[in-house]
Amino acid sequence: MSALLELEGVHAGYGPTSVLHGVSLEVPEGGAVSLLGANGAGKTTTLRAITGGVHWTGNIQFDGRPLHRMSTEQIVRRGIAHVPEGRGICTELTVDENLKLGAHRRHNDADLRKDYDRVFAYFPVLKERRRLSASTLSGGEQQMLALARALLMKPRLMLLDEPSLGLAPIVVRAIFEIIRTINRENKVAVLLVEQNARIALELSSHAYVLEVGRVAVEGESAELQGNESVRRSYLGY
Amino acid sequence: MQELFQLIVSGLATGGVFASLALALVLIYNAMGIVNFAQGEMAMFATFIAFTLISRGISYWIAVPVTLVIAFGGGIAIQRLVIRPVERAPVLTLVIITLGLATLINGLAGVLFGYIPRAFDSPFPPSSYGVFGVYVGYQDLGVIAMSGVVLLAVYLLLQRTTVGLTMRAASHHPEASRLLGVSVSWMLALGWGLAAAVGAVSGIMVAPVLLLEPDMMQTTIIYAFAAAVLGGIESPLGAVVGGLVVGVTVNLVGVYVPFVGGDLQLAVALAIIVAVLVIRPNGLFGRASSRRV
Repeated sequence: MSALLELEGVHAGYGPTSVLHGVSLEVPEGGAVSLLGANGAGKTTTLRAITGGVHWTGNIQFDGRPLHRMSTEQIVRRGIAHVPEGRGICTELTVDENLKLGAHRRHNDADLRKDYDRVFAYFPVLKERRRLSASTLSGGEQQMLALARALLMKPRLMLLDEPSLGLAPIVVRAIFEIIRTINRENKVAVLLVEQNARIALELSSHAYVLEVGRVAVEGESAELQGNESVRRSYLGY
Repeated sequence: MQELFQLIVSGLATGGVFASLALALVLIYNAMGIVNFAQGEMAMFATFIAFTLISRGISYWIAVPVTLVIAFGGGIAIQRLVIRPVERAPVLTLVIITLGLATLINGLAGVLFGYIPRAFDSPFPPSSYGVFGVYVGYQDLGVIAMSGVVLLAVYLLLQRTTVGLTMRAASHHPEASRLLGVSVSWMLALGWGLAAAVGAVSGIMVAPVLLLEPDMMQTTIIYAFAAAVLGGIESPLGAVVGGLVVGVTVNLVGVYVPFVGGDLQLAVALAIIVAVLVIRPNGLFGRASSRRV
């Protein structure tokens, strides 16, 4: 099986500080993979390396083509939607304008309209608030907007950086339910970075645990969930 | 009363000039967070291009659009060649570079076109239009109409088009915009191009009044600074309102406050800048900037 996304021995860092010391991982076409680990383990940096937000060495391939020396915008145009830490909502713009921004490279009107319908079916609240400034949305609604905007990019892979951060448990449930739907029904592969290991493992089929810039453990999500020593030492529950 | 009305209308005409130049300043401020001190000189240079075209016998109404296209390209070229290599430099470096650019363009205009002030013909008749005893110059009306068209065009571009949307997103949220596939660097270049074209309109409109020479815009740019600061340096709408307010205020104060007269009008602009910065630093339309710490 050939992977949609493949990282091999990726080193990355900020200036003289190196954060990743040879990370290798794979996300299969249409798969759901969790990237877990403590604060500062390098989860966010891994995602940033993939979309060119940090200097890296090693090998990253998307759809069989290397991403080396490509700009962020070139990489995401290949079909990667990256919902960053803090969600990256443009708070100066309206909800509608944020959505349009996600769709701004697309031209096929019928196809795009279908995606808008789908997005509004997932997140009816966004349809109600289309004309409002995105800054008026609650944290959960902003996360929904970020996901909706990412979907409108029609990606083959979504990189989600802590979608549960700062949200009430009931909102987290709802959002993960939709991430699951996006993954299963729309066949969008997902690489999910989470602190909340329990809910991430429920969603993903495969998981990697990072520790100080290296993959410490990897395996089937169900297997990691069942392994008590892994849970205790790395996942904290 | 009639005099007051006439002064307001002619103030709006000068205000339209200030508004266009202030809008150019705001466009670049939004794109990269600095005030472009070369904006006035860029406008002056573009006006010389229009003058050259017109003096070769090309109609005003063809020469002006052609000039705007050239200015647009020139703005993009300046961003790509001069600004982009130092994009990540500290703000002060960038400001000094725009000051250098101003000197360079000023000198270049002197070398190419000479320092003798030239009459720049207006396409509008010098006569006035009278209603109920109030006489409004066609020149003023023409300038008001032209700035109105330019400002409306910029508004529609920024608010109603996809390119405008990506430009706004790129200026406020560069990182998030990149992740959505926006080429932020090109959006900045586009901002420079647009600013150069909008600024050029102000030069072309003011030239018939001031006479065209390399130093033509050096007072106008001060008024434009005042307008941009008054409106809130980040707000395009604020730049327009600020421009009109400054134009009318300076005109009225010049006539009704004998102490100011014609000589101290520029000081009024500076007073406005200082007053705004002290009383309401974000201007009329700027939002209070805050940062989470």
